[in-house]
Amino acid sequence: MEAIRYFLFRSLRNMASSPLLCSAAILTMGVALAAVGVFLLVVLNLQNLTKDWRDDIQVVAYMDKVPSATELDEVLQKVKAFPEVETAIFVSKTDALQRFTKRLGEDSDLLTGLRADVLPASLELQLKGEYQTRNAVQQVADRLKSELKLEDLQYGKDWLEQFESFTTLLELVGVVLGGFLVFAAVFIVSNTIKLTLYARRDELEIMTLVGATLRFIKTPFIIEGLLQGILGGVLAVVILYGLHHFVLKDGLQVLLLTPAGFTIEFLPREMQLAIAAAGAFLGVLGSLLALRRFVRI
Amino acid sequence: MIQLFNICKSYSKENSALKDVSVHIQKGEFVYLTGPSGAGKTTLLKMLYGAERPTRGQVLINGQNVTRLRRSRVPYLRRQVGVVFQDYKLLNSRTVYENVAFSLEAQGKKRYEVAQKVYQCLKKVGLEHKLKSKPLELSGGEQQRVAIARALAVDPLILLADEPSGNLDAEVSLDIMELLKGANARGTTVVMATHDLHLCHLFPRRTIHLEAGRLVNDSMP
Ligand SMILES: Nc1ncnc2c1ncn2[C@@H]1O[C@H](COP(=O)(O)OP(=O)(O)OP(=O)(O)O)[C@@H](O)[C@H]1O
Ligand SMILES: [Mg+2]
Repeated sequence: MEAIRYFLFRSLRNMASSPLLCSAAILTMGVALAAVGVFLLVVLNLQNLTKDWRDDIQVVAYMDKVPSATELDEVLQKVKAFPEVETAIFVSKTDALQRFTKRLGEDSDLLTGLRADVLPASLELQLKGEYQTRNAVQQVADRLKSELKLEDLQYGKDWLEQFESFTTLLELVGVVLGGFLVFAAVFIVSNTIKLTLYARRDELEIMTLVGATLRFIKTPFIIEGLLQGILGGVLAVVILYGLHHFVLKDGLQVLLLTPAGFTIEFLPREMQLAIAAAGAFLGVLGSLLALRRFVRI
Repeated sequence: MIQLFNICKSYSKENSALKDVSVHIQKGEFVYLTGPSGAGKTTLLKMLYGAERPTRGQVLINGQNVTRLRRSRVPYLRRQVGVVFQDYKLLNSRTVYENVAFSLEAQGKKRYEVAQKVYQCLKKVGLEHKLKSKPLELSGGEQQRVAIARALAVDPLILLADEPSGNLDAEVSLDIMELLKGANARGTTVVMATHDLHLCHLFPRRTIHLEAGRLVNDSMP
């Protein structure tokens, strides 16, 4: 216990005696981790978005001619008899416009002046959970075509698949770039610790001369790396929070053309902790690397 | 206590700093190591605290073969061997107290033990009133006395001194000499490298003379 206090005291004194170097290390660590964090944030939100879209897999049949009430009843009846269909809703032209207006949110003034019948009426089929697959969707579509003569169908989610492969690509880029940034962070931390070691080379030499073990010499520097890493990680989370709050929340919304009502989320608590932990790990790694080259008996 | 067998040391291919040196030093001896500049005095002392390893030959300290010592064991050797340098090697950013405490802390001594021992040792060298000063606020002689206090604080078996008064005037070097003799009188084996033949005549002791890396004379007074 006393030993821990002693080592902690020594590393805090080290840090206090070279505040500039110390804050440089924390800053670089913070920026590098924040850059990785931005990627995490974007990927995470894209995943949320695709999940949202997945959830409403449906088949939409557009109707050029608006059917009469009796015709419509008949169609609805038939469709509801399909085993795959959970719900079937008729969306009239006015309903469609209303919905679209709502979806656009603040930008809805774009639509003023348009006639109420620009959007087609449609039949929206929500499929039961177990039928939300490509095959089932295809079957339903086929039956709609053959039995009900509904031709103008929208159901294929090919673009969704494409979008998902895009997010996968983005994740890959994130991993590569993140790896690179993390490598740079370790390099910089290790170099700043080398600088502090260089500044205290007299002390290190004297320590070895008076019979200090390597562990005794190294421990304060490892603690220093640990503390700097944790502080860097916390700084990264703070930077990310700022970025999210002031820039990304609105910026990404526009960039990703997300529907109103979808909010760009911040990293969950576990990930914030993970970033701090990554900082701690990288800090220790950095100091170990520096010490290995610098402290010899 | 100290046994050197046929020590050769070369830092590079062409020249060798020590050539076939064999010396035995008994427990409690006081030995001068003399010779012109470049004769290999510092190199020989370095062998004794594990800072350099011989190219050939064996070094035994207190029966322990230093040449075969693993790196991780070197600190434990150095706890038995105090070293004093010409340039003191004090930490200028720390107080006198902290400088002396340093060697005790490095060996993992308890805090109250450290405080007691530091005070005792500084008293021995007559600097107990300068506890809180920084080394650069002291004279050269006082700084060297702090360095000696640091070396002796851990009760070493052997005290090595590499021209401890090389930077100091004659009067102050007598003070330093008294401290080393005092340590020797209390049982510590002392090996002191020096240029100062005057000192050797004033306090005659066994003298080992090196020249160009060879032991040319080993004489008792
Ligand atoms: N680290 C080193 N690398 C290469 N050569 C060295 C090294 N240390 C010493 N030498 C060489 O070894 C020889 C002996 O040096 P050493 O320092 O032991 O002499 P010395 O007797 O202590 O001299 P002085 O009285 O000037 O201190 C010299 O020729 C020196 O150039
Ligand atoms: Mg020398």
